[in-house]
Amino acid sequence: MGNPVNMTNHKPKQSADSSAGAIIEETPLIAGNHTFSSITEKISGVIEGPTPKMWWVLFSFSVSLLLILVGSVGFLIWEGTGIWGLNSPVGWGWAIVNFVFWVGIGHAGTLISAVLHLFRQKWRTSINRFAEAMTIFAVICALLFPTIHVGRIWVLYWFFPIPNQMSMWPNFRSPLLWDVFAVSIYFTVSLLFWYVGLVPDIATLRDRAKTRGKKIIYGILSLGWRGANRHWRHYELGYLILAGLSTPLVLSVHSVVSTDFATSIIPGWHTTIFPPYFVAGAIFSGFAMVMTLAIIARKAFGMEEFITVNHLEKMAKIIMVTGLMVGYAYSIEFFIAWYSGNDYERFTFINRALGPYAWAYWIMVSCNVIIPQFFWSKKLRTNVTVLFILSIFVNIGMWFERFVIITSSLSRDYLPSSWDYYSPSIWDIATFVGSFGLFFTLFLLFLRFLPMISMAEVKGVLPQADPHHPMYQKSGEAHENK
Amino acid sequence: MSEKKKPTQLSGIDHSVEKPEPTENRSLVSKQYWRSYDELAGTPEFETFLENEFPQGTFDLPNQFSRKKFLGLMGASLALAGLTACRRPVEKIVPYVNAPEDIIPGVSKNFATSMPFGTNSFGVIVETHEGRPTKIEGNPKHSSSMGAANAFIQASILNLYDPDRSQAPAHSGNETRWDDFLGFWQGQLKTFEETRGEGLAILSSSFASPTLSRLKADFLRKFPKATWTVYDPVSDERIYNGIELASKQRLQPVYQLDSAEIILSIDSDFLFLDSNNVANSKRFAKGRRITSEKDSMNRLYAVESGFTVTGGMADHRLKLPPAQIKHFAVSLAKELQKLGVPVELNLPVVQLQKHQTHSKWIKNLAVDLATHKSKSAVVAGYRQPAEVHALVFAINDALRNHGKTITYYQSEHTAHSSTQQFNKLVGDLDESTVKTLVIIGGNPAYSSDINGQFIRGLNRVEHSIHFSERVNETSSSCEWHLPLSNYLESWGDAVSFDGTLSVTQPMIAPLFDSHSMVEVFSLLSSGDLPTGYDIVRASWRDQFIPTYFEKNWRRVLHDGVLADSNFKTVRPGLKNKNILADDALLDSNHGGLECIFAPSSSVWDGEFSNNSWLMENPDPVTKVSWDNVAVMSLSTASKNHLKNKELAKFSADGKSITCPVWILPGHADDTVTFTLGYGRTAAGRIGNKVGVNVFGFKSINSDILTGVKVSGTGRFQTIACTQDHHGLDVNKLVADEIKNRLPAIVREASLDEYKHDPLFVKEVVEEPELFSLWEDKSYEEGFQWGMSVDLNVCTGCNACSIACQSENNIPVVGKSEVEKGREMSWIRLDRYFSGDTEDPEMVFQPVACQHCEMAPCEQVCPVTATVHTEEGLNAMVYNRCVGTRYCANNCPYKVRRFNFFNYTKDLPEIVKIAQNPDVTVRFRGVMEKCTFCVQRINQGKIRAKNDNEPLKDGDIVTACQQTCPTEAIVFGNINDPDSRVSQVKKQNRNYAMLGEINVRPRTTYLAKIRNLNSELNDKHNVHNKS
Repeated sequence: MGNPVNMTNHKPKQSADSSAGAIIEETPLIAGNHTFSSITEKISGVIEGPTPKMWWVLFSFSVSLLLILVGSVGFLIWEGTGIWGLNSPVGWGWAIVNFVFWVGIGHAGTLISAVLHLFRQKWRTSINRFAEAMTIFAVICALLFPTIHVGRIWVLYWFFPIPNQMSMWPNFRSPLLWDVFAVSIYFTVSLLFWYVGLVPDIATLRDRAKTRGKKIIYGILSLGWRGANRHWRHYELGYLILAGLSTPLVLSVHSVVSTDFATSIIPGWHTTIFPPYFVAGAIFSGFAMVMTLAIIARKAFGMEEFITVNHLEKMAKIIMVTGLMVGYAYSIEFFIAWYSGNDYERFTFINRALGPYAWAYWIMVSCNVIIPQFFWSKKLRTNVTVLFILSIFVNIGMWFERFVIITSSLSRDYLPSSWDYYSPSIWDIATFVGSFGLFFTLFLLFLRFLPMISMAEVKGVLPQADPHHPMYQKSGEAHENK
Repeated sequence: MSEKKKPTQLSGIDHSVEKPEPTENRSLVSKQYWRSYDELAGTPEFETFLENEFPQGTFDLPNQFSRKKFLGLMGASLALAGLTACRRPVEKIVPYVNAPEDIIPGVSKNFATSMPFGTNSFGVIVETHEGRPTKIEGNPKHSSSMGAANAFIQASILNLYDPDRSQAPAHSGNETRWDDFLGFWQGQLKTFEETRGEGLAILSSSFASPTLSRLKADFLRKFPKATWTVYDPVSDERIYNGIELASKQRLQPVYQLDSAEIILSIDSDFLFLDSNNVANSKRFAKGRRITSEKDSMNRLYAVESGFTVTGGMADHRLKLPPAQIKHFAVSLAKELQKLGVPVELNLPVVQLQKHQTHSKWIKNLAVDLATHKSKSAVVAGYRQPAEVHALVFAINDALRNHGKTITYYQSEHTAHSSTQQFNKLVGDLDESTVKTLVIIGGNPAYSSDINGQFIRGLNRVEHSIHFSERVNETSSSCEWHLPLSNYLESWGDAVSFDGTLSVTQPMIAPLFDSHSMVEVFSLLSSGDLPTGYDIVRASWRDQFIPTYFEKNWRRVLHDGVLADSNFKTVRPGLKNKNILADDALLDSNHGGLECIFAPSSSVWDGEFSNNSWLMENPDPVTKVSWDNVAVMSLSTASKNHLKNKELAKFSADGKSITCPVWILPGHADDTVTFTLGYGRTAAGRIGNKVGVNVFGFKSINSDILTGVKVSGTGRFQTIACTQDHHGLDVNKLVADEIKNRLPAIVREASLDEYKHDPLFVKEVVEEPELFSLWEDKSYEEGFQWGMSVDLNVCTGCNACSIACQSENNIPVVGKSEVEKGREMSWIRLDRYFSGDTEDPEMVFQPVACQHCEMAPCEQVCPVTATVHTEEGLNAMVYNRCVGTRYCANNCPYKVRRFNFFNYTKDLPEIVKIAQNPDVTVRFRGVMEKCTFCVQRINQGKIRAKNDNEPLKDGDIVTACQQTCPTEAIVFGNINDPDSRVSQVKKQNRNYAMLGEINVRPRTTYLAKIRNLNSELNDKHNVHNKS
């Protein structure tokens, strides 16, 4: 997966022998000839400087959306889930679609941080921080939906295996319970991972803090970090362990979510391909969301030097690869529906492509299978505008994938007498739109109060951090003269 | 057990049952009904009233929020932000101060009574809890109900608890007292005593009751010049006229269908909506039921214009426009004559239009009838003109069916409806010869006000008095309105079609200030109000030897019927050879559509309009609830450029109505079926402004209308339909798939195929070897409950559905919720069409929870709210349910119902007392479904334990099983090889729907068999896949 050009700084001995021309051809991970201190200035500056007007505009907009969420959830709890478009047979509608959608988005962060960390993909350092933040906020949004979609939210704690006077335990056979564990573990580990990674940077902010309040808050959050050698050793070890712990979670969470469907007996849900297919889809959608956010953030805060087109291109490649996996899954589902000889399965898929939800199905195929094919062209995958637009299409497509799986399968299952069509109510839409409000509100707060790019890690991939870098051998003073 | 229940004895009820607040209704009375609509029209209140179709009583979320409410809610949700505290209201329970001796709290008591229905009556047994009736079941000793009940009988209990019943007498719209009326009436009596009743007219509904007819006779004796008109908008009048035309006698036919092998229905829905349908269904099923391929079964032919339940049960069905049905009957008579059957009639020349298939059909039918002399029956529907009934009489006579499959009774104590009398009354009113008009029951201002004539006449009389249970359209035009008691609050008596005498005894003291029918009848001539109890006993004095009166009287109260009471049977002969004039069959149709008018399966003729159970109960064939529609075939619709649900304007004779179109496969072409009973304006909170009143469109003399023009309006109406929102051929994808699946879901074969291949049900679906990954729990000990449904006799009549609703407190959700697909019925009747799209066959399949042993719902519930009991029940723990709806998603039968809202929140106080105290009322956010009537199972076990006896098969019956008029449902212990259910499940027609997915349902079905005439079989597609 790695790009050999970027591996150069791991091969100091070879680099030492290589010609100066070869070095010039390398695309540095961080553009703009940054030094350690300029990085600190630049990234901390976003937090310490005055609040940009644009931030206020975006924040007000996000908070407005958040208020829609609060209002529609409040009304939901007041009146009941009947305010949504649900019916019999479609007992799960947009709420569960949104849940799977947000959990899917929440995949990219941990994948970037943990898996790419283990694979020593240094390019991850520019995007891992906010990708992780995005993961956490996406998982918060995701957790919201299964919480509010139940009929009696006030007894939700029955989901948890809390010892109680009734000796009542949850049903460990239910995939919904597995979801509770899978998603909450994922959330906990992701949060820890993110926080541990933040500690050195928070310490930097503490050291630079000018007000007492900031000193105290950052001081507490930085857990007494002094940057000592011992600290770094523990930090790196802990980070590595967490990365190791998170890696299987990346695969497990969406696999478990997919068992909600795969273990049921509904045609179109009862499919063994679901776990890998869902994971691929989750990475696909997660990277698309990171791409969307990264493009906005680098533009808004002038971070083009840290998040370069090179980073975006790498993400585009991952989107393309996972898009192909997803496309393969779509086609194999059809093949199996025919090959299995199961009439119900066969009809479910014909119905998806030609039935009342065909419009949604073809939106899904266009966005998830056709759109990523544009990334075969280098010209397109290095064009930031194109990337931005296409990444949004992928997000739309992945939302529709979940919509198609959930509603089209439920709306026409075994007995034709029960078939019915599901359409969302205004409250379904308001809740979904509102969840973006929650997401962006949290994300904007993060951008304003925490370093959006990991200063410590980015510094680690600068040429200056590599004592064997050929730069030192050519001219050790080149940078100092700047 | 059943002691005489004088209202005084029931005073204890007042402790437990809080009377509903009358204020609500009073305002209704004064605001809406008693002013003319012209005065109200245009006021904002009136507009709102019209806009709001379902003001209260069912759950319907208002679609629009006021800005204030919206802001309030938003504020509240912000403040609470999810911390909604849910507390249930504190309720006080007041125990008895002086407990009645014979009431054990929590233990129900059953009493026999009878429900009058037109000139028939249904014997019922009413379950009461602490003196309040909650559930109605058929009385096995009564000849009209034979232990079963139809949907109307089941739902009639809700009429008792109707919050819109009138609660006090009213004079010119102002509340008054009975004493005031008594004073007024005594004055009237004095006036009329002088004129011997001149100028006094009574208009009542039909009745069949010794007491009522005695009182009527008393009245007419006292006022010989008064008129007494009996009129029902839907009645069997033409049947009696036809029999009289042929035999010169006015007789009541009763069909002994169990001894008929060949049955022909001519435009008759004798299994569902025609008179005596419960007994007809019982007897029909008896002749239909088979236990093995060696048995024989009856064969049903049906000729009809609409598609009825009876037509769906038919082995051969011929759809004909209404005008051609007479031609058909004549052709059949001629065909029989050719075969040597002595139909001694002079018949006109007939030209049954076009089809050769028709003549083939008739020929084969005639052969079948001719070879089954005295073992066949021809039944014609009430809608057909008298000549057709006379013709049918002649045919049955020639086939020697009289006395065998059709019994004629000489009715007594019966007042039949007469259109002629009614027309005369309207004429009298018009000429102002009537000074005082008393209307007892009925609602002629709604149902019989053709061209406004009746109301015009009503305004001309000096005094008009209306006795009725509700303040309806007629009451609002009358000077006096006086509340009548429901039959469950009344003393009375009744005779059924065959003369079975029964007593109506009150289950509860009148909830409101009302008096019973017998008291009112007595009041008419005496001007006084003696108690109904004394009046009824006085009529029964002659029945028994005085010494044994009390003993016998108590016996009758206990049994509900007087044993061996019957009318005299008559063997009438054909007395008239010239039934039809030579020009009777000349084509009178001048083009345009032909329309037929049928009573509604939900609201009858409007009498049940305010009954929410029935209102929400879908029509068995169209599956439309909360509306009446103009039903027509696809080709008729496309010929007239109409689309499904499009509002179409129908016009004839200068009158017109606008009604939504509903396309139904199998409906006769160029024909439209309208449903009566909708479009009420003063029915109450449920029935107001639901559907269209089509009474005004038809003639009062006929239920068939010809020469109707139609045009589309281009506007569409939302229709709440509980099943597929698509016809057979509207969507090819769906149609093909249903065609593909249906043979496995509803397994069906012709009798010949079945005899040839008795194990055909096993061959429909290729079942893989089913195995389990783990060691299964064996259900081999104790009781193991199971059910069987015989699709061969199920007619799809919806009785089970209403019985279940009554037994299990199933909420009514309202039109918009049904439209969203959220109806709550635990047992639904799936209706499928098969075969030719223009002339399909129809099958019904009742589907409730199948209680799978490997229940997919149980595995996915995260909080174990649905679990399996040791007895094999799939139990639902409402308390534990969190409401994820995962179980409903994973149910392959889609029988689980979710409380999306708190559907019982707005239930009026009085409706709450109609609920069964043995069954939890579910809160919002909770899943529910069929429990196999677990409360009845437990009661049965407790009873057996108290009696120190083992539980016997048949001790426990579920509500649906109990009421089923065809005994299609059998429930019991499948662990007992001798139980009925085990025996039935051993039959070779037994199959598990979706058994191939290894869920092991405890409910299994017996395949449907059609007894086809092999000569007519070429059309029938064989359903077996292989």
